[in-house]
Amino acid sequence: MTAVDTPPRTQPAPPQARKINRVRRRSQREARTAWFLSLPTLLILAGLLAYPLYRMIVLSFQNMRLRELITGLTPPWVGFDQYTKALTDSVFWGVVLRTAVFTVVSVTISVILGLGIALLMRRVHSRVRLFMMIAMMFVWALPALVAAQAFRWLTDSDFGVLNYLIDKIPGVDFANHSWFVNPWEGWAVITTLVVWAGIPFLAISLSAGLTQVPKELLEAATVDGASSWQSLRNITLPILKPLLTIVTTLSVIWNFGLFTQNWALRDGHPEPVYQTLATFSYTQAFGQSRYSYGSAISVITVLLMLGVMAFYIRQMFKIGEVD
Amino acid sequence: MKRKIAVAAALAATLLGATACGGGGSDDEAVTSATGAVDGKGKTLKVWLMVDAETAWKGVVEDASKRFTEATGAQVNVEYQQWANHLTKLDATLAGTDVPDVVELGNTEFSKYVFNGGFAELNKGDFENSDTWLTGLSGACELDGKTYCVPYYAGARVLIYRTDLFKAAGIAEAPATYADFLSAADKLQKANAKDNKFSAFYMPGQYWYAAMSWVKSKGGEIATKDGDKWVGQLSSPASQQGLQEWVDVTKKYSKADVTKNENEQAGIFAQGSGGMFYGNGWEQGSAEEVRKDPNDPTSELVPTKVKGKLAAAPMPEIPSFLGGSNLGVTQKSENKELAAQWIKAFTDSKSMEGLIKANALPNSTALLDKAAENPAIKNPALAAKSSWFPPNAEKWADVEKASILQTMLTDILTGKKTVADGAKWADEQINATLNEA
Repeated sequence: MTAVDTPPRTQPAPPQARKINRVRRRSQREARTAWFLSLPTLLILAGLLAYPLYRMIVLSFQNMRLRELITGLTPPWVGFDQYTKALTDSVFWGVVLRTAVFTVVSVTISVILGLGIALLMRRVHSRVRLFMMIAMMFVWALPALVAAQAFRWLTDSDFGVLNYLIDKIPGVDFANHSWFVNPWEGWAVITTLVVWAGIPFLAISLSAGLTQVPKELLEAATVDGASSWQSLRNITLPILKPLLTIVTTLSVIWNFGLFTQNWALRDGHPEPVYQTLATFSYTQAFGQSRYSYGSAISVITVLLMLGVMAFYIRQMFKIGEVD
Repeated sequence: MKRKIAVAAALAATLLGATACGGGGSDDEAVTSATGAVDGKGKTLKVWLMVDAETAWKGVVEDASKRFTEATGAQVNVEYQQWANHLTKLDATLAGTDVPDVVELGNTEFSKYVFNGGFAELNKGDFENSDTWLTGLSGACELDGKTYCVPYYAGARVLIYRTDLFKAAGIAEAPATYADFLSAADKLQKANAKDNKFSAFYMPGQYWYAAMSWVKSKGGEIATKDGDKWVGQLSSPASQQGLQEWVDVTKKYSKADVTKNENEQAGIFAQGSGGMFYGNGWEQGSAEEVRKDPNDPTSELVPTKVKGKLAAAPMPEIPSFLGGSNLGVTQKSENKELAAQWIKAFTDSKSMEGLIKANALPNSTALLDKAAENPAIKNPALAAKSSWFPPNAEKWADVEKASILQTMLTDILTGKKTVADGAKWADEQINATLNEA
């Protein structure tokens, strides 16, 4: 982006007018080239993001059902009806609350564990570190759907290896135990999966960030008698803070849009207690052919996310300024 | 010479136009006839059938297509669809212009598309056995006295049980009354008490077709129409009594996951820890033999633990849900008449005989006696004679998609709601869904 909107104005003014003209012409030409070079990206972004977003917003002010979809009739305009319907529906607010709570819990656990593993990686032998890196790369490389299917089989009530192993403990009857009867247990499974899949990104990014913490500072602190907890709180974390903010914000954005994991673990028909904003809007739109209502829910989700995004982008700029 | 050709062409065009409008009547959309002569040379018909046809009666499909091609000259391209999410795919396809000409849908799924103008009107009389179609299938095809699809095949549910375990528990024969069924379950439970995974009667908690069959057995209903409004009936005393009986049986005799539906039941029963289950006639076969490679429908069949130990009987005193499929011609199809002719060939008595041989129930009551001659589907054929089907409401498919009945059943079985509370909640959800503008 910086290539586009920073023409070289900061150059010291040349003494001769002719030179000024030449420079101005050159800067105009450079700006044109920059726009020209970024055109393909802009077109792709417009086609893949802006246009669908525009259609989604338009759709959310209409009432499109199966008849309009099949016959191509223009759906009737209904103004803010779809939004009113969502915002006055207690089921919808339940879904929002559930998604938010899940996001807070899962991000907190992931970041703490990710940071812990990153700190551990600084301490261990380089071979162990390499092994940890490779293991985490594998987890990271696994598509979310494949991981979710694997967890579905692990926790299956009839064939799952988890029940089989727990049942082996003497005195415990876990044969045919269903992990999704009790929503707390079900959400524990989903959260475990999300945290497990989210840790590699956090741990690897944070361990890269930790290399930026000057050794001398830590040594000096130790000499001054600081405990390792004090060094962590007063030296490491402040230096890591910008990076920590960014990876936390990213995790919030990803986990807030939870779809694949609960969808696959509930075999494509999540019960009401396992619905998140993403699955709820999908079920409404494509399951029940309420395309406009689904769009309105998506727009509300985007608006909610925009708050988090604004924070993220501001943080990015802040880091840019420091550099 | 040139003039003559022009006149002939004009005449031909007029004639063609006349036949095309032939069945139109006062409507702006013409009825598609399946009887006229159509030249389909150079045309290819696109047909969407569900995967069952590929695995169980591909020969019948090929034979019907061959006869159709001989009669019309048109080729047929059959694409087999999976049940999971096939509606999402259909919606996306119907929104475009390159649509399949013939589509198979489940009988409970059809109403939604008929009400929303997805399928073309057909001339009922053109199809064989149309006056004896199973009403459980054809109900979804009819709207305001017009016909929009053709019944294809049906399935009815029966009691499938382990003959060896019956013998070991001292049960002489298949239960003939509901009381017999309960006493058989008791004996099986006692005889297999050592196996902590054993279900005397395997019943997954979200198997709503089963639960609703119990509701029907007491004279209960899911929803009835009052004027132009649907009213949920699960709270009625009869429905609650049926639900309660199903809950009692499930809690007492089943160790099945209360959050699972019936999709995997044959495979789970094949593991050997079950005495009886309630399934489609063909699920007996699925429990006894599986494909060596589940992804390859042509791979060899391998026996399971329960091979040769299963038998089926009508579920005593419980009317069966009549599942099945219908075939329709899409409204956007450019080959409507050809499509109707293919359906005619695929649902005639000859094709139906092929389906009976492949252990599926035919689309007509007149053919059910013939089906009963096939020992493999004798019981389903009998069960189909006393069967029920869900409310023929435009938005019924949405009730299924929203998992309303499934959620109610799981909530009742886990004790989160009483039968009365669960039924009341489901009625509210059903009313809101079926009557939504």
